[in-house]
Amino acid sequence: MAINKQHAIDPDKCTACTICITACPVTAATRKFRGPKMTGPALTRLRKLVSDDDPMLDYCSNCKTCDLVCPSGVPISTLNMMAKNEYYKTHPRKSRADDMLAHSEKMGKLITALPMGSTFAGMGMAIGKAFNMMNAMGITQNAKMPTYASESFISKFKKIKQTSYPRKVVFFSGCYINYNQPEVGVDLVKVYQKNEVEVAVDEKFVCCGSPMVSGGYIDDARINAAKNVKLLKGWVDKGYDIVTACTSCGLMLKQEYQELFDFAGMADYAEHMYDSIEYLAKLNDEGKFNTDFVENSTKYIYHAPCHLKVQAIGRPSMELLPLIPGMQIEEADAGCCGISGSYGFKADKNEIAMKVGSKLFARIKNSHADLGVSECGTCRLQMENGSGVHAIHPLTVFKKAYGL
Amino acid sequence: MLKTTVVVIGGGATGVGILRDLSMRGVDTILVERDDLGYWTSSRFHGLLHSGGRYAVKDKEAAKECIEENTILRRIGRHCVEATESIFVRAPEDSEEYEHEWVKSCAECGISAIPISMDEAFKLEPNLSRKLLSAYRCPGAAIDGFRLLWQTVASANKYGGKAMTYMEVTGIETENGEVVGVRIRDRWTGREDKIACDFVISAAGSFSGEVAKLAGLTVNVKPSKGTLIAFNHRICNRVIHRLHKSSDADIFVPHGSITILGTTSIDSAPDDTSTETAEVVEMMKVGEVTFENIYDYRILRVFAGTRPLYSADPNAKGRSASRGFVALDHAHEGVKHFFSVCGGKFTTYRLMAEKVCNMVCEQLGVNEKCHTAEENLVDDPSPELINRAKAVFPSYGAELASSRLGNDKLERVIERIEKQPEMKELVCECENVTRAEIEEIAGEPTSHTVSDVRRRTRLGMGTCQGTFCAYRSVGAIDKEDVPWSKDTVNLCKDFLETRWKGIRPVLWGNMLRDIELTRAIYDAALNLSGVEDIK
Amino acid sequence: MRKSDILIIGNGISGLFAACIAADMGKKVQILSYGAGTLTIGGGIIDVLGYTDDGKPIENPVLGADKMASGHPYSKVGAQTVDKALRAFLKIAESEGFPYIGSPDKNQWVPTAIGNFKPSCLVPRTMNSQAIFDAENILVVGFDTMKDFYANMVTKNLRKHLKSDKNIEEFVVQLNFEYGRDLRDISAMDVARWLETKEGYNAFVNQVKAHIKNSTAIVLPPVLGLDPNYQILDSLEKDLGCKLVEVSSLPPAVTGTRLDKMLNSYAKKHGVQIIEKARVVGSEVADGKCQAVITEGFDRQRKFYADQFILATGGVYGGGLIAGIGSMVEPVFNINIDVPKVQTEWSYKHLFADKKQIFAQYGVNVDNDLTPVAADGSKIASNVKVVGRSLAGYDFCYEKSGNGVALITAYKAAAAFCGEA
Ligand SMILES: Cc1cc2nc3c(=O)[nH]c(=O)nc-3n(C[C@H](O)[C@H](O)[C@H](O)COP(=O)(O)OP(=O)(O)OC[C@H]3O[C@@H](n4cnc5c(N)ncnc54)[C@H](O)[C@@H]3O)c2cc1C
Ligand SMILES: Cc1cc2nc3c(=O)[nH]c(=O)nc-3n(C[C@H](O)[C@H](O)[C@H](O)COP(=O)(O)OP(=O)(O)OC[C@H]3O[C@@H](n4cnc5c(N)ncnc54)[C@H](O)[C@@H]3O)c2cc1C
Repeated sequence: MAINKQHAIDPDKCTACTICITACPVTAATRKFRGPKMTGPALTRLRKLVSDDDPMLDYCSNCKTCDLVCPSGVPISTLNMMAKNEYYKTHPRKSRADDMLAHSEKMGKLITALPMGSTFAGMGMAIGKAFNMMNAMGITQNAKMPTYASESFISKFKKIKQTSYPRKVVFFSGCYINYNQPEVGVDLVKVYQKNEVEVAVDEKFVCCGSPMVSGGYIDDARINAAKNVKLLKGWVDKGYDIVTACTSCGLMLKQEYQELFDFAGMADYAEHMYDSIEYLAKLNDEGKFNTDFVENSTKYIYHAPCHLKVQAIGRPSMELLPLIPGMQIEEADAGCCGISGSYGFKADKNEIAMKVGSKLFARIKNSHADLGVSECGTCRLQMENGSGVHAIHPLTVFKKAYGL
Repeated sequence: MLKTTVVVIGGGATGVGILRDLSMRGVDTILVERDDLGYWTSSRFHGLLHSGGRYAVKDKEAAKECIEENTILRRIGRHCVEATESIFVRAPEDSEEYEHEWVKSCAECGISAIPISMDEAFKLEPNLSRKLLSAYRCPGAAIDGFRLLWQTVASANKYGGKAMTYMEVTGIETENGEVVGVRIRDRWTGREDKIACDFVISAAGSFSGEVAKLAGLTVNVKPSKGTLIAFNHRICNRVIHRLHKSSDADIFVPHGSITILGTTSIDSAPDDTSTETAEVVEMMKVGEVTFENIYDYRILRVFAGTRPLYSADPNAKGRSASRGFVALDHAHEGVKHFFSVCGGKFTTYRLMAEKVCNMVCEQLGVNEKCHTAEENLVDDPSPELINRAKAVFPSYGAELASSRLGNDKLERVIERIEKQPEMKELVCECENVTRAEIEEIAGEPTSHTVSDVRRRTRLGMGTCQGTFCAYRSVGAIDKEDVPWSKDTVNLCKDFLETRWKGIRPVLWGNMLRDIELTRAIYDAALNLSGVEDIK
Repeated sequence: MRKSDILIIGNGISGLFAACIAADMGKKVQILSYGAGTLTIGGGIIDVLGYTDDGKPIENPVLGADKMASGHPYSKVGAQTVDKALRAFLKIAESEGFPYIGSPDKNQWVPTAIGNFKPSCLVPRTMNSQAIFDAENILVVGFDTMKDFYANMVTKNLRKHLKSDKNIEEFVVQLNFEYGRDLRDISAMDVARWLETKEGYNAFVNQVKAHIKNSTAIVLPPVLGLDPNYQILDSLEKDLGCKLVEVSSLPPAVTGTRLDKMLNSYAKKHGVQIIEKARVVGSEVADGKCQAVITEGFDRQRKFYADQFILATGGVYGGGLIAGIGSMVEPVFNINIDVPKVQTEWSYKHLFADKKQIFAQYGVNVDNDLTPVAADGSKIASNVKVVGRSLAGYDFCYEKSGNGVALITAYKAAAAFCGEA
């Protein structure tokens, strides 16, 4: 059941208690950010009255930790994003990175369409780095950037032969899986097939809009939302559940759309949305989860993405992964990784992102784990960047455990 | 003993208007106010700069006065007027006939009333109820009472006019049936003094009867209390009126960061500013017709003021009494050179002053005409000053501070921050009030309590209603050069009690949550009220 | 399966502590929480009972609790539970390497950020105020650009409260933080983070050292690190050769944040599962027992099953009680709280009324086992217990009993569900 929109964007519930300030990872990392309470509910009141130059607005990473801890249900981060959107209508952008990172789908399409094939594409954004383009655009030179796959997930998907089952889901892959890590999508199909679930995809889906919202391009996100909402509603009407394997896509489609936009049908399809592992946990609850695993003695450390935490679904991965025999896994429980989608790739934010993630990095290193595990693609990248430990999607762990 | 030509009793809108008017005509004038400027009705009001539309049907005279003064004040008082415009909306339960009559009347009074489609109205004001039927744009506006008063006094100061606050007039002295002076008492020191003068003008609002008594006279004021609800946000960006025969709770005025709904009308004592839950509940019901989601909007507080309604007929009461004003020359009752002005509206404060000053000047033999409509209250801040402010204030702070402070004080506050950048620290995070401002204002001789600082800065008037800034402000002003700052514990408590008064009748929802937080901080964590037995 | 032995709604101090106790006794515990609880804005000190109903200071909270009127949570759980619960808390703190000082039968006077004292019972070692009474010299240390602590005010007010032969001086540490329009104000948390760095620590020691005389105690805002341990305190006491005492202060709460981390750490180590952002909107009660509670978000309702339930929803502030015009309701079990129809009867004219505020005592009525009782006297569900701020019958602000009632009722509920009498 959906929460009434009027309430969803209501800053009136804020009592200025400062809980969000105690939890905000960016506030802890830099004084360039005044913190969620001020940027969100407090200044929302004043922005209706005066406009001003507001260099701090840019520092909210939309990680949503503030929303998580708020006892009053104030959608603080979304208020910040709405303010950012309005702000940049009348103020110049700090760098071109905003535009590029917010519209990563465009980039993905461009690069995967290049005729030169995998070698070139495999370098991904490294091409730009080589030509010192990134710096000029305001993108950090210090972080490992997402690389682009030579073949998109959608294209790979078409080559997979599935067995048909009555239980069907449509998989919203999102840009990161489609262009950067298609193998995660492939793993999803394999794991779901093992659990007698048939997976559909929809080539008409467009970027969920999460990077656009974070970058303050809500108007662009609205255009994408209009398309996706119609499609998603259509699939649900046909009896499909919807799964995502990227927690930011999931959160965007089921929550942020409802907070930001007014399209019909959003609440209807949201009822049928699942995170990919949550869906497996649901099967487990019904006694239908395939636990025919081979032993796995790898040592893992699990990091829960911020955008998973706010979905109120707990930690489905920590529920299911331990079912694999021999499995050694612990939860890092060390807060935000810092990357927040594309935030950490910006030249002026990278240092903050690394500082935010430093607890997590230390935790990963000290755990002596062989591999990191996380549902979010850019979290995984950040975990690697910060700790040197390679990180994979839990679906990939399951695929291995099924001996595939 | 002080000496002047004219003493004005009362530092509400009317009194400061007179002070400015006489000073500009070169008449030596001192204003004496018992409390802080604007402590009574001139801050406990709705803050609407009437277009006249509300009175167009019933009282064309008043309506015309309003639109004329409205036009003047938008110009001379542009730093305390928010020229928002207003929208009159008709609901299904409102008479269509009245609408026609109203349109006609507005035209007669010279009040622009432009019909707009409801689609247009909803675009301008998205929160309006979709049930509303018709809408007109009028030139109403919001006006800040505190600011208008201070700016009017600042303007009078330039011409030698003086205002004394916390100074009560305790007697009016006459010789041979003619005023010779007033007795005054300092409310803080208790010291008594006299001001010798040739004329006394009482602008004591609802207290005009009491003041007249000091000279053994009667003035028939019928104070009528009105209650107002302040909401945490700008629900609308324009003043919203119901288009019907004027009635309770039918106007919303956006005011800085908040919105005020009002009002009501019952006979009361002049100093009755109490509020009741029942009134709020009734007002919310009416307000719901205009804004259907009204119950979702957080109330900040409720407050009340009393209208100084004057009636020649002692039996006329409340709303049926004339909104017009009177300037009484008490010579007819045997006291020469003593005048009372009362009634009227905030909107017409300048006109009231003009009228009474004309009378006084005639008797004084001063020929100088009234210039108050020609000169702005305060100068516009120079672009350089605004740029200096923008360079040091936190975001969204410069403009707000500039309109609160006026140029001279703004400059001093800027200097404080330039010298000590950390003075840009926000003491009041809800209304963006810096430590520099608090320290500057607290150090002024006219400040005696945190509430005085509040009236000049908006400290504690936002979402948290003092929960955080009570502590911060007493800490910040606890300085050698602020003589009244010593008893920090009680300053804190007193300030919070004044805030509590407005919250108590609406202690539900988030208001109760907020009070839980306030008590947790000040009682649980800081133990402001507990006995300490430690020695 | 989503079924747990004990399901707790709310992860404030009472929910977390109940979880710790139950998990300790081998139960499978799950917490559903919407928001983070009051700990990170409230203090990390455990007030148990500071004042009698007529405002007299209490020396021995256990004895004081024994004398409370019948509606009070303490009179329901009994003085023995008060003692047991607090000792259980002390044990947990000890095992987490963050031992608290004090004893259930003795209050201590803790300094506050306004320069007052307040009675509390168990406090972290960073707030061991004995040093203030023992030392001849008190040095009140502030930080030049830090918000929400005014060394001059604290100094002046302390002088009013302490014996006149004590020498009380203030000293302001220069943070030398960058300052400008694009940088936000500095909070106690920022200073705590600064003291966690080597550079900050050394700067602090270098500046303060010269002002330490023989027999000095330092009074300062809560800035001695953000983690639940005493590393900074211990090394400062060694390097400065004197005791340091943090004051009870305003939100954001450094001391509360440490306690929050400590309880979370203990709970998680003992297998407690916490589901954040899960707003419980209702329950399924059948045959006088709660079967499940229902959460709701932007997607769909979910049911969470358990054998037993603890409602630790934090009262009006936490969202556990919703106040309307002339009404108050507990939303999970839909319990109507009996309140006056006219709002002004909810309170006294003065906020600081010199007695318990009326509205502060509104809450869920329970029997002596903390099982909720409806207005008509009927039991709502026999396997539900209510703990912490949602309980009726006490005013923690006036009594100084906030975290005490929370811990003690939580202990009682968890222990009872685990079969302890
Ligand atoms: C609820 C309400 C809403 C209103 N809304 C509007 C509106 O939206 N627009 C509008 O134009 N008008 C409005 N009005 C009317 C307007 O507020 C008043 O007409 C106006 O403020 C009156 O100003 P005043 O100076 O006459 O009285 P006051 O502001 O009351 O000033 C009188 C002063 O005299 C002082 N005084 C009394 N006795 C002594 C003494 N012995 N010695 C020294 N000083 C003394 C008092 O302390 C007081 O400060 C509203 C009125 C009310 C009550
Ligand atoms: C500023 C401040 C200072 C204080 N200082 C002190 C002090 O110095 N000493 C002292 O002893 N006490 C102090 N207290 C009091 C003390 O903090 C509280 O009494 C205590 O924290 C109450 O704990 P609780 O667990 O009952 O509630 P809370 O900490 O409020 O926790 C309630 C939890 O329930 C959750 N919840 C509520 N409704 C739902 C729902 N429907 N679904 C899911 N979850 C829900 C909330 O989100 C929250 O996580 C202070 C309090 C404040 C606010």
